[in-house]
Amino acid sequence: MAFSGALTLTDLNDFITPSQACIKPVEQTNKPVQQEKDAGAAATEIHIDGSGTYYEVAQDGGDMTGRKLEQAQISLNDCLACSGCITSAESVLITLQSHVEVLSVLSNPTDERIPIISIAPQSLASLAAAYSQHNSSELLTPREIFRRIRTFCTSILGFAYVFDTNFARHISLNEHVKEFIERREQHLAKGDDDGLPRSPSETLPMLASACPGWICYAEKAHPEMLPFIARTKSPQQVMGTLVKKWIGRRLGKQPNEIYHVSVMPCYDKKLEASRQDFFDDIFQTRDVDCVVTTGELELMMKEFGWDLKTSSQSPSDLTTSRSIPLKDLTSARRHPGIDLPELVTHSGTSSGSYLPSILRHLTETSPVPLMLSVKTVRNSDYEEYVLRESAPSSSGDAVGKVIFKGAKCYGFRNLQNVVRKVGRERGVRVGSGAAGRLGAPGGAGKGVRRLRAVRKGQGGEGGAPGGDGEERKYDYVEVMACPGGCVNGGGQLKPPDGTSLDAEGYQRDWDGEGAIPSASAKWGDKGWTKKVEEAYWRDTGRVDAERSADQVADGIVEELWEAYGDSEKKGLFRTEYRAVESDVVGLAVKW
Amino acid sequence: MNSVSLVAELPGHDDRAWAVAWNPSRPILASCSADKSVRLYSYSSSALKFDHVTTIPTGHAKTVRSIAWSPSGKTLATGSFDSNIGIWEQENVGEDELGAGEWECMTILEGHETECKGVAYSSTGTLLASCSRDKTVWVWEVHPDADFECLGVMMEHSQDVKCVAWHPSEEILASGSYDDTIKLHIDDPTEDWYCFTTLIGHTSTVWSLAWSPKGSYLASASDDKTVRIWRRTEQYKWETVLTINAHDRTIYAVSWSKGRPKSGAGGLGWLATAGGDGSIKIWELTEETGSEPSIAHCLIAVLPSAHGVHDVNAISWCPREGMEDVFATTGDDGVTKVWRVVPGE
Repeated sequence: MAFSGALTLTDLNDFITPSQACIKPVEQTNKPVQQEKDAGAAATEIHIDGSGTYYEVAQDGGDMTGRKLEQAQISLNDCLACSGCITSAESVLITLQSHVEVLSVLSNPTDERIPIISIAPQSLASLAAAYSQHNSSELLTPREIFRRIRTFCTSILGFAYVFDTNFARHISLNEHVKEFIERREQHLAKGDDDGLPRSPSETLPMLASACPGWICYAEKAHPEMLPFIARTKSPQQVMGTLVKKWIGRRLGKQPNEIYHVSVMPCYDKKLEASRQDFFDDIFQTRDVDCVVTTGELELMMKEFGWDLKTSSQSPSDLTTSRSIPLKDLTSARRHPGIDLPELVTHSGTSSGSYLPSILRHLTETSPVPLMLSVKTVRNSDYEEYVLRESAPSSSGDAVGKVIFKGAKCYGFRNLQNVVRKVGRERGVRVGSGAAGRLGAPGGAGKGVRRLRAVRKGQGGEGGAPGGDGEERKYDYVEVMACPGGCVNGGGQLKPPDGTSLDAEGYQRDWDGEGAIPSASAKWGDKGWTKKVEEAYWRDTGRVDAERSADQVADGIVEELWEAYGDSEKKGLFRTEYRAVESDVVGLAVKW
Repeated sequence: MNSVSLVAELPGHDDRAWAVAWNPSRPILASCSADKSVRLYSYSSSALKFDHVTTIPTGHAKTVRSIAWSPSGKTLATGSFDSNIGIWEQENVGEDELGAGEWECMTILEGHETECKGVAYSSTGTLLASCSRDKTVWVWEVHPDADFECLGVMMEHSQDVKCVAWHPSEEILASGSYDDTIKLHIDDPTEDWYCFTTLIGHTSTVWSLAWSPKGSYLASASDDKTVRIWRRTEQYKWETVLTINAHDRTIYAVSWSKGRPKSGAGGLGWLATAGGDGSIKIWELTEETGSEPSIAHCLIAVLPSAHGVHDVNAISWCPREGMEDVFATTGDDGVTKVWRVVPGE
């Protein structure tokens, strides 16, 4: 199998790594067992016929008919349920979701689906950073990169429409804020700390849901966290809804008559797109048919000789023999115009501004002025945000009442600490499987529970609840699995060669202590992430854009709302999660 | 040649025993086993008498593979094949120096995806390291109230990580793996923990690691039947200075202490090794100052079949003042044995 050239699994640090065994169980069927004639002489061979079917044939040749063997099949969903073997899971992904697949669909003359591509802003930032590098006097903006990619995607690849995913994110953010407010209201209505089990709709803190790496990890390793995770769809999947349902209706097409590709900074977005929740059973199609990474998009452009550095590149400049649009240009032009707000910016974090959106909403809707204070817990990947009423006139307190405490938490390591903290604060047992059994009478769990009770008592006697925001439990956490967030996603471009500047800059810190081998390579990546972050925020100064996006978004949401029945409404912008049972621990290879 | 004499034989585990650990501040010896329990023994240093004081059932769902005492001697960490780490303390330590009272699980550290193979406290007791078959090495910061914060997850090993060992005075963590390498990790002052060097030389699994008492050397025991001694040649550089073909089979355990060496100047102490061939060997190491710095090794004691026909899984020198010649072993027979090196004629 040809592996995608853009796929690299090196340099993984602080990302979630796979374990070793495949958990796909051997399927048990209750078919009649064939009588073994002679166990001792049961030597058989496996023969393959012309159609590629496997037959088990007795070796002595006595029985030439043979028994047809069933093919073992591992679907993408099996692999979703497992981190057993990155190679097989990845290779399944690579055939189903790769730029090779995109090109093969686009060049297939019998495939009449309308091709639409949606590009994530972090991917644009990565390309902007990479292609600005060689021309430092003129820094490319994501907007300019988007313009150039749009030309490439329409004139060379033959996509009918090229969108960014920012507008979908806008809808996703609105829904996210709405969900938070719903949860908070229900949570408050029930009262805090009554110890009763809660349904997801009333559980705080709410944890961000846009990072598929985090979702997969929580489903596998921390099912107790699932009630806390927001039900709001990620921008990619909201875009999927928009393309297949709203644009589809505009074009008079069914969902399966559109081929929707998304470009993402992240490999795990491929897994997200493959979730059964985002599969349309009626039309047998996915909301996002194929996800390619930033690196794979760059590879496609390179394969076609498209130079992203040149602003005035046109199809006729290409020297390669593959300069003919894969899809007929003229047919693409016949598609009616679809206007979605372009590159709507959401200030705050480059990973989607989930926490800042909630902070903004709370500040704007608060009857009294609110003050925000930010505390760095360990580094910029873990920060706490506290909103409090500013300078209360009635009371003599120096600080106002805390009304919200949130955190931004990126990277596998910080994620561990947030899981522990939330588990402790909300009294849910952290962990699954083996850990759950520690709660058996006389076992470790007994002592743990006792300790918790003691601690709770101390907390009650101590300082005023909610006083300085220290004791207040989290209301919301923006969780991302990658350190540095989405700009540093696994699918982003690697730093180009010759960016030694950052490494040198960092090395200076170590002059007195001698150089540490391999340290510069590591820090080079951090410097690169910073550059992508910078590129992300270039040219983002359109203040009015968000308001007009709101109007368009409201219109679209309303339109979809009316078009779909009550049963389907729920699934338009929200989704579900489920724990993945894995008994792999300890059963696999031992050494 | 010296001899090794049996001081105490402490049976009790129902299944193979994996590790022994001397409490650094209280006269307690602990052992752990596939029977999921930890057994504690108290002893008096004058009479060298060992008594079973309590058994912690732990509640771990699988084998307790490793144990580590915090430097204060108040906390015990257990690493289990159920992928978790248990943290154990006694409520009223003051009245109970010998550890007989009830040990309670203060918290459970989760995070490893598969079997936890090793746990270790740093010299100051502020950090706890763990390693696992999931190929990762974790560093936890110890907070008050048995609270822990994960500081780092290192994913550099390409296979099962068998052991972790902290430098005796600095915050340098060594890990040994089925990938045949040893990796050294430190904290990046501005960011995360990371692996700063990989020690390559062994041709098979690295099962056990032991720093020299002063920390300028690291000993590694391997499935390739050798023990390697690595010298710190620069601040962030270690090199093999000695390879000992120490045993006939896999070496599972190595322990290094100051011992009671005869040699005065350049004495690096005693190294104890044991493993699949069932024998215990004691080596005296000496630093030789020449044009090329090197170290000399001398086999000063051998004891075959220390646990009968069974493998010896762990070996550990007693850290107590006046007991520099005492060490403990445990093996597949589930028995913990305490030994003393007796000077020969």
